[in-house]
Amino acid sequence: MEMLSEVIAIFNRWNKKLLRQPILIFFNLIQPLVWFLLFTQAFSAIGNIPTFRLLTGTSSYITFFTAAVIIQTIASSALNAGIGLVNDFDSGFMDKMRVAPINKSSILFGRLFSSALTTVIQVAIILVIGLALGVNIASGILGAIVIFILAALFGIAWSGISLFVALNTKNAETTLSIGLLTTFPLLFLSASVMPIGLLPSWVQQVANVNPFTYIAEAFQSLIINGFVWQKIEYALIAIFIVGVLSLGSSILLFRRKIS
Amino acid sequence: MDDIVAVEDLHKTYGKDIVAVDGISFTVKKGEVFGFLGPNGAGKSTTIKILTTLLEKTSGKATIDGLDIDADQVKVRRIIGYSSQEVGVDDDLTARENLMLQCSFHHLAKEKAKAKVNELLQTVRLAEAADRRLKTFSGGMRKRLDLASSLVSDPKILFLDEPTTGLDPQSRQDVWEYIVKLNRQGMTIFLTTQYMEEADRLANRLCIVDQGKIVAEGTPADLKAQIGADKITLRFKADDRAGCEKAKELMSKLPGIEAVGQCGDGLVAINGLEIMTKNGSAMVTQVVRTLDTAGIEVEQLNLSVPTLDEVFLKLTGKTLNVVERKEAMGRRGRRRGRT
Repeated sequence: MEMLSEVIAIFNRWNKKLLRQPILIFFNLIQPLVWFLLFTQAFSAIGNIPTFRLLTGTSSYITFFTAAVIIQTIASSALNAGIGLVNDFDSGFMDKMRVAPINKSSILFGRLFSSALTTVIQVAIILVIGLALGVNIASGILGAIVIFILAALFGIAWSGISLFVALNTKNAETTLSIGLLTTFPLLFLSASVMPIGLLPSWVQQVANVNPFTYIAEAFQSLIINGFVWQKIEYALIAIFIVGVLSLGSSILLFRRKIS
Repeated sequence: MDDIVAVEDLHKTYGKDIVAVDGISFTVKKGEVFGFLGPNGAGKSTTIKILTTLLEKTSGKATIDGLDIDADQVKVRRIIGYSSQEVGVDDDLTARENLMLQCSFHHLAKEKAKAKVNELLQTVRLAEAADRRLKTFSGGMRKRLDLASSLVSDPKILFLDEPTTGLDPQSRQDVWEYIVKLNRQGMTIFLTTQYMEEADRLANRLCIVDQGKIVAEGTPADLKAQIGADKITLRFKADDRAGCEKAKELMSKLPGIEAVGQCGDGLVAINGLEIMTKNGSAMVTQVVRTLDTAGIEVEQLNLSVPTLDEVFLKLTGKTLNVVERKEAMGRRGRRRGRT
């Protein structure tokens, strides 16, 4: 019970902090829009490739690419989780929390859940923008809810990585650079931007062990084909593995670093 | 039990060879203001961080209200308040929200928390600014809020790490006032400082630390007494050399006077006399009476007591803080003028 109220208090704190930074909200919203417009305009011809339609089930690149925009957004939100933590170390607020009789994990979970909430709202906005741009979600409202759930879970799991880097470096710039440096290659070395069958063979090999691939394929199938349970299962397995590793190591490190 | 903090042979080593705290032992009594005075890098913050469970010690033993800082960590956290040098408040939140958040960390029920927050806001004179975000707050206001936030749980002991470092003189006065007030209400306070004046004004007892070791311990008066005598400086009319010589003769016969200088030398180059005594303030009346009876006219009389600056200088062979020292000297000068 005590831990729940601690997590809620810290969760609310982060939500308030975000709401009070309109510029940050603006950029969080503008970013997916930029992605949508830039990539889908530049690469719209990909939809005309016969194999693309064969592999994905759609000839609309923007429909396919929606998953990539969602994943990019999840990854950048996840990055903010770690940076927020670094700021707390710098400002002395972390010590203030640590010296209180609270469960240390509450500090992390409050942050993670707030970041997950932000992600879900962002994903909802992306889907609305997508609808406006002609993207149909084959799995309907229920599918959209599944997308939200997967996005929130993957957001939490992926945040673990930025928390881990943040706890190790305690430096916002480093956390940001490492975050960006991992996000972009992983995105392009996965099935997010291009169906796996169209990727060169070495990229395919990387993509096969890249968690982004499984998340992307789950989103793609929900948007293009409807409910393909196997894809959702794979995505959940990928989230589980990433989550156990990243959150497990972050919590361990956090407990050790701030014991 | 009288001691609320008991520290025994505490060591903290970073890595292999950086020794931050090098075997210190001390106790803090219930209800006192205990000061840890030393320059930057003396190990003050390290000690306070160990006692507040923020940092693991390398070896030694420390208890707070009988609770072991390692074995009873959570219990220790329930009874302490801590205000760090960094001022741990959230700038995106309002003063009230910051305090409410602290209340939730201490699991206060909502109604109780609201009342407590209002009370604390009044105490630190932030009631009017309560619902403003901290971005608009001055350094002094932020520090006051930070102090308030360390008090939400009614701690038995409050740890203050350099509470006035970086504050303007007015805010410093305010913080001192709160510390004195809290202590009067019965709260034990452990504070670190690099300011002599702060330790002198606030601490009932203090430790002087340097390079991870305690170099002296006692009340400010005890420590100053180690330096030796108070000094009474007399100044006579410039042409009254005979008066000065007469005074010198009388003074050397007066019981309680330890040493008398030469006429004309010392602080006042013109026509002055320096007298050393153990108990300056008590001796002043006798000095004045003696001189008056003898009909010697005194133009000016100064009493100066040894300062902690001098104690520190004597113990470590170095000055603590040059800027602060000058400031303290200035204040002392004013006080001396009034004597």
